Amino acid sequence: MQQYIAQRLLLMIPTLFGVALFIFLLMRVLPGDIVEIRFTSEGGFVSEEMIQIERARLGLDQPLPVQFIKWMYGLIGQPSVDAQFPFIHLQAPDLGVSMWTGRPITEEIAIRFQLSLQVAIMGTLLSILIAIPLGTLAAMYQDTWIDYSVRIFSVGGLAIPSFWLGILIILFLLNTFNWIPPFIFTPIWEDPGKNLTQLIWPTLAIGYSYSAIATRMMRSSMLEVLRDDYVRTARAKGLLEHVTVVRHVLPNAMLPVITVVGLEFAFLLGGLVVTEQVFNLNGIGKLFVEAINHRDYTLTQALVLLVAVTFIFVNFVVDLLYAAFDPRIKYE
Amino acid sequence: MKFRWSHSFIILFAIGIFFLTGCDNTSSNQDQDTNTTQETNQNTDNNTSANTSTETNTTTETSTTDSGVIIPKSGGILDFAVPRDPPSFDCHRENTFACIHPIAPFYSLLARFDQNNYPAIVGDVAESWDVSDDGLNYTFHLHDDILFHDGSKLTAEDVKATYEKIIFPPEGIVSARKGSYLMVDSVEAPDDVTVVFNLKWPSISFLANIASPWNFIYKASILAEDPTWYESNVMGTGAFKFVEYVNGAFLSGERFDDYFMPGRPYLDGFKAIFINSMSARVAAVRGGEALIEFRGFTPTARDDIVRQLGDEAVVQEGPWICYLNVAINNEREPFNDSRIRRALNLALDRWGASDTISKITFIGYVGGLMRPGSEFAAPEEELTQYEGFWTDIEASRTEARRLLEEAGIDEGFSFQFKNRAIGDPFEHVGVWLIDQWSQIGLNVEQVVQEDAAFFADRSGGNFDATMDWECGFMDEPDLQLFKFLSTGVSGSNYSRYSDPTLDSLYERQSKAATIEERIGIVREFERYLFNEQAYTFPTLWYYRISPHWAKVKGWTQLPSHYLNQDLRDVWLDE
Repeated sequence: MQQYIAQRLLLMIPTLFGVALFIFLLMRVLPGDIVEIRFTSEGGFVSEEMIQIERARLGLDQPLPVQFIKWMYGLIGQPSVDAQFPFIHLQAPDLGVSMWTGRPITEEIAIRFQLSLQVAIMGTLLSILIAIPLGTLAAMYQDTWIDYSVRIFSVGGLAIPSFWLGILIILFLLNTFNWIPPFIFTPIWEDPGKNLTQLIWPTLAIGYSYSAIATRMMRSSMLEVLRDDYVRTARAKGLLEHVTVVRHVLPNAMLPVITVVGLEFAFLLGGLVVTEQVFNLNGIGKLFVEAINHRDYTLTQALVLLVAVTFIFVNFVVDLLYAAFDPRIKYE
Repeated sequence: MKFRWSHSFIILFAIGIFFLTGCDNTSSNQDQDTNTTQETNQNTDNNTSANTSTETNTTTETSTTDSGVIIPKSGGILDFAVPRDPPSFDCHRENTFACIHPIAPFYSLLARFDQNNYPAIVGDVAESWDVSDDGLNYTFHLHDDILFHDGSKLTAEDVKATYEKIIFPPEGIVSARKGSYLMVDSVEAPDDVTVVFNLKWPSISFLANIASPWNFIYKASILAEDPTWYESNVMGTGAFKFVEYVNGAFLSGERFDDYFMPGRPYLDGFKAIFINSMSARVAAVRGGEALIEFRGFTPTARDDIVRQLGDEAVVQEGPWICYLNVAINNEREPFNDSRIRRALNLALDRWGASDTISKITFIGYVGGLMRPGSEFAAPEEELTQYEGFWTDIEASRTEARRLLEEAGIDEGFSFQFKNRAIGDPFEHVGVWLIDQWSQIGLNVEQVVQEDAAFFADRSGGNFDATMDWECGFMDEPDLQLFKFLSTGVSGSNYSRYSDPTLDSLYERQSKAATIEERIGIVREFERYLFNEQAYTFPTLWYYRISPHWAKVKGWTQLPSHYLNQDLRDVWLDE
């Protein structure tokens, strides 16, 4: 198991390097120039001389290989030799500064990450809380009104984009209570009430939408497992139905659901672009879109790497969870 | 039984959705009849109106003296929305209102536009000024009791260092408006309270450029140590002190108790909340999360806000120094033929559009190259003589067809019009243009692009015709006409032409001795551009709509969203 974990961790290095190289080149291929966007988007008469000064300041006048090597150099960490100990030390990775704001990228991301992480956790938890019981009930009462209701509910979740549901929620709150959720994020440890007052609404919109796929996956997976021989055996030996379901069916039916939920969680961390706009959440998704729109190369590259790391890590955890849920799976 | 349950669920769900969405749409439509909308149309029709805004106010005033003068109240925090974060805190190098709106309250200017008497200029840190007889020396006398937020005293050296950074930036430092001060030869500070600007030639626009809202006064010693310090730090002499900035979320300030103007500011502080989405900004004002957004809203957004707030809403509306322009690629055939460009201009029914487009977006004034209603704008009787501005649209389009035929352009000739992927007002005007051109037999495809790709194509000349625009902080021909100078002279001429006649007219108006002479040359400039070349031409001018909570007092909407943002006169009636 330890060897497997070590292998997976080592495999992350070439994967991330490939992602880094790919996004670096992709950003340079895209048309557009951060300096032009910055100085001419509202009209104005910024001279060519000023534009060249800014391009030089951002390092955009350097050849692409030089730009890439500089970025990698900061990312990997600058090696230094400790005088007291005969070791070469690597400094902490430096993501650099945002070309648009001039602020450290770690600061830009850190401010947004806690909000995105909390929304992702809350949205995922809500979608699990909806999906597992509903999917289970729909499978157990297949082709009854319960099943139909759950299917309509989950199809609704698939059909309604979370941002649109968010708009409906805001309009409902405004029209009914003359009130909207706060627009400024308060960390949960500072004021849990205020924090939940802001984040409960996007969580509802996201949780409902994202529960849809998991519910349908849970239902079909349950239906498959319910027909397996070992379930029939469990029933034949006289186990109560709920014991059969909880002990034998659910754990086996969970495997595909874990995969879906894991991928959804990773996506929620960086992909809530429109929902964040609707609720004015200062999250990673909004930052991502701004970075791409501004052609902020350094920030976009860092965010893509962050998302890549998240997906790799979540996939890794999902694989480990497989082993926990299914004793037949063993990693050598 | 099963079927009925699922059916009921669908019906209930549909009713719920209909109720939620229907509420909003219905109310918006109803608002078409409100006084606010009528006010808008009046403004649009009246092209000779006004530098000031019209205010629709349904609330009762409080705190008045016996003579009826309103006494401002002190205290309170003003929460206002800003559509995006400032790229940096140094507005000398930036070119967006998103820098001015949250940062201006921390700084003073040398002089400023008077919010009660635009375009009059009054002193800010300057108490008064003198101009030499030959117009080559401007001497500013400063208040001697102005403190920076760190407690140090402002002197003439600070003003000198600030303007030297703007006019003669050190190597590697960006100064976005350096080109506006070509007339300045040197800046001197003979004593602590006197600053002298020595000009190379007399310039009527110099004083207006001194009152530029971008020219925050910085501290000389800080600039000497690090001219980039102000990009990420704030320290000025303005009415508010910097408190906190959370990237992407908000920026806040608190009252500066030692501000040099007695009794100001009225507010205890402010919080600029960054809200990207227009719908979220509207929701923020409707729900009271923000009391105002200083740039402006669409007519629909205004109606939504007025409907929600009722008597607690005030709407200020008026002309805006912004317009959308059609830039034609003069290097591409057949657009290098002036007959085709003139035909494209003649096809536009601007007078008809001012009534219709203004109902859906914040655009609608018909004007030439200067803002309608401003000192330098062509009066209507003269404007209607320019090609493209005729009131008889049928005659105009007949002439357009004749020109096309003469130039050998067949019915159904196709080309692309590139536009920004922004609904208000770009795409609305783009759709209108396509329709107008189709009425003279042209088949134009609108290509909508995200900003970065759009800018790349525009500056690279990869277009037949493209949307262009301009916003200014004042009505000044030196600024507004600069766009139309030859490529290479003007960095913002995207139409790719070279015309010594326009360059010469520009220089003549800039150095004209009197306003009358200057106005005459501006007219000549417009006539030549519209009637003979039509390299590029304006569509319609913006109008600015600021709906806000009535309790926000002391702020007057001016024709530019760059002006009047220091918040020193703003107070809350609560």
